Amino acid sequence: MFDRSTTLLAALVVAGVAWPVHADGQSWREATMSHRLESSEPVRAQISYGAGTFGLRATEEPLLYRVSLRYDEDAYEPLIEYSGDRLEIGMEGSGRRFPFGRRSSGGSMDLELARGVPMDLDLHFGAVKADVDLGGLALTSLELSTGASESRIDVSEPNTSVLRRAVFEIGAADFTMRRLGNLGAERIELKAGVGHVDLSLDGRWRADARLSIEMGLGALDLRVPEGLGIRIRKDSFLTSFDPEGLVKRGDSYYSLDWEEADRKVTIDLNAAFGSVQVLWIR
Amino acid sequence: MRRSAIPSRLAAIAVTAAAFLLPSHAVAQAREIVSKQVSVGASEAVLVLEFRGGHRLEASFRDGTVSVDGEPIGAFEPGSAFDASWRSLLGQAVALENGPLAVAVQDWAPPTELTGSALEVAEALDRALEEGIEPSGDTPTAQDVSVSSSERGTLTRLLMGSVTRLSVLEEALAGLDERINVHIEEDFEVPAGETVEGSVVVIDGTATIAGEIRGDLVVVDGSVALEEGSRITGELRMADARMLRNLGDVDGGVVDVLATERDETDDLRERLRSEIRDEVRRDLRNELRNVTRADDDGFSFLSPFRTVLRGIGGVIETVFTILVLGLLGAVAVSFARENIEIVADTARRAPGRAAAVGLAGTFLLIPIWILGAVALVVSIVGIPVAIAWLPLFPAAVLVAGIFGYLAVAKNAGEWLADSGYAWTDWVRKSNPVHTILAGLIGLMLAFLAAHVISIVPFFGFLSGLLVFVGVVVTFAAVQVGFGAVLLTRGGRRREYWPLDPEEAWAAAMDIDADLDEGTTTAAGSTADDRNEGSEPHV
Repeated sequence: MFDRSTTLLAALVVAGVAWPVHADGQSWREATMSHRLESSEPVRAQISYGAGTFGLRATEEPLLYRVSLRYDEDAYEPLIEYSGDRLEIGMEGSGRRFPFGRRSSGGSMDLELARGVPMDLDLHFGAVKADVDLGGLALTSLELSTGASESRIDVSEPNTSVLRRAVFEIGAADFTMRRLGNLGAERIELKAGVGHVDLSLDGRWRADARLSIEMGLGALDLRVPEGLGIRIRKDSFLTSFDPEGLVKRGDSYYSLDWEEADRKVTIDLNAAFGSVQVLWIR
Repeated sequence: MRRSAIPSRLAAIAVTAAAFLLPSHAVAQAREIVSKQVSVGASEAVLVLEFRGGHRLEASFRDGTVSVDGEPIGAFEPGSAFDASWRSLLGQAVALENGPLAVAVQDWAPPTELTGSALEVAEALDRALEEGIEPSGDTPTAQDVSVSSSERGTLTRLLMGSVTRLSVLEEALAGLDERINVHIEEDFEVPAGETVEGSVVVIDGTATIAGEIRGDLVVVDGSVALEEGSRITGELRMADARMLRNLGDVDGGVVDVLATERDETDDLRERLRSEIRDEVRRDLRNELRNVTRADDDGFSFLSPFRTVLRGIGGVIETVFTILVLGLLGAVAVSFARENIEIVADTARRAPGRAAAVGLAGTFLLIPIWILGAVALVVSIVGIPVAIAWLPLFPAAVLVAGIFGYLAVAKNAGEWLADSGYAWTDWVRKSNPVHTILAGLIGLMLAFLAAHVISIVPFFGFLSGLLVFVGVVVTFAAVQVGFGAVLLTRGGRRREYWPLDPEEAWAAAMDIDADLDEGTTTAAGSTADDRNEGSEPHV
């Protein structure tokens, strides 16, 4: 009846409650909130998390959301608001103490969102280690912004809705994205400041798409599955480019099977001070 | 699995509508839990449940007190069996939702080892939980009424009252084949390798497709999962339904039946928002226009209040300026007392000369700045100096101007201390911070008076005149002070030294407010000592 994560979470909470006063001077609190799914009307979800470990995935249960939090109650308090078509989940300062040091970094947010409910999803991370699986969500819009974070984004299953536009704004971060094709987005924008971006274009592309990448100072690994047609239009400054498996025609680089490919992705690459490497997924 | 083949589409609509509108599920034995919150910390363990219809139940163990819906019902011992039992329930509640959660809460009972008051509190909590979970005698809504299909009157009434939902159904079923497989309130599954001929309608159930449907699939108020390798040759129509998994192929595409309705709602919402925005914008524009017109005309209904507010604002602004400059004066006295006294002495003894030098210096500032930069830039060695010169020279001039102005304010403050006015009694001549502050008030008195007078109607001319006087006084003070700073090289070189004997004697005989501290300036003391005035010299 329960999936592994729920069982694990329950075990953690039980373990936590078994030693309620074990650590003097620390005031960690564990909380779980959930809301039943009452309709399949579209939802605009805004999720923000400042510091700690963040996880997101689709839930198998008939819930709109379930969020499990671990936080320092002297410094933070949860902010969860659901009204009409708006869902807001995050943490805010309690005002009792300035969040600083290890207390702010030891927290976590584990979030599950409803499958199949059309959703405009905004994710905002600060200094967060994020592990996000968007598979199974019905995304109609996606915006993800990160600060100094380590983010791993996967789309393990195809999006069950039509995604108009996906935007990723990455600060100083280590950013990994897997199975981007499963998003089913017609237009994807990725803006990266400083750091390493690892982008896999595997997954199931429903239609031709356009991917716009702006890189500041950093390295971009572009993983492309065989059979997917890609065209790269590059505008770069002091950036090394390794176009393995691509041929240059005019001002663009094409995959060898560009003409025959069922699905084509056009990549507009704008980079400065870094390196771009194309890797093929056999 | 129950399957029925209904030849007529209208019959299907009627049947599905009846099922859609008249849920036949049994009345639950517990309230439906819509949301839950489990919160566990070192000093508290809280369970909050929200039920359909808005009812709420909150039970908390916090700082030794057990509360239900905010009302204390008794005490508990942290770490006791009672506390542990409650925390154990919350541990279960994390993983449970709705029905199972309600059962777990209902099943909770006080631990057997409890006795005395702890047992009473636990029993009270148990009762509160039972009462909170059990359904109340609320009046059921139309949706909850259980009506048998034979009650045609009720059925008709409900159908008539649900035109919107009927239209949704009709839209979902429009154009389907004559042969439809209808599944109401049950799950429908096509296993891998199997094929279903004809269209399928699933209402209030989950359709899991791993095989093939040769036709359309309509899902109303339910969910659909297209597994890997599945195929629907027609359309997948969804009305108020969720797609859980989309790994199959749908030849005819996925149609959201409510999309049009939703788009229309969005359009309406956007149109309303746009209209409200335009109206607010129009109102603001009119308001701004009225305010502007009132300013242009010089009179409006609010004019008197506006002048009062403006006057008070001006007074506050001037007082703030005095305080900031006074603070700077205190800093200058603390760190460069001798310099400020030398500058003040020079400004007092030769104000004309100082003003002339200040004026000349002011006119020469920009040429010196530019020529200095050019002279430095022509040599490679000078380039780094020029980079510093460009911002530092104006900064140095600004500091010199303020320093000189404060020195003049000090002189003005000393003069006010000697003046004998009642309102200057607080000024101690021996204290340079006092004299600087008093001098600043004196130098800015014209501005203060101008702002106060501007509050009174019909005194605009006098107010303007006072502002002019204030500007002249300030300009003169700055010029004299700046000139004195230049003459004394920032207070490092005395222009008049030593005092002539007659002045020294007069100064020595000048017994003033220093008496407050029991100190006097003595004959034979230097000018510095006289100004410091804290220690008598023999």
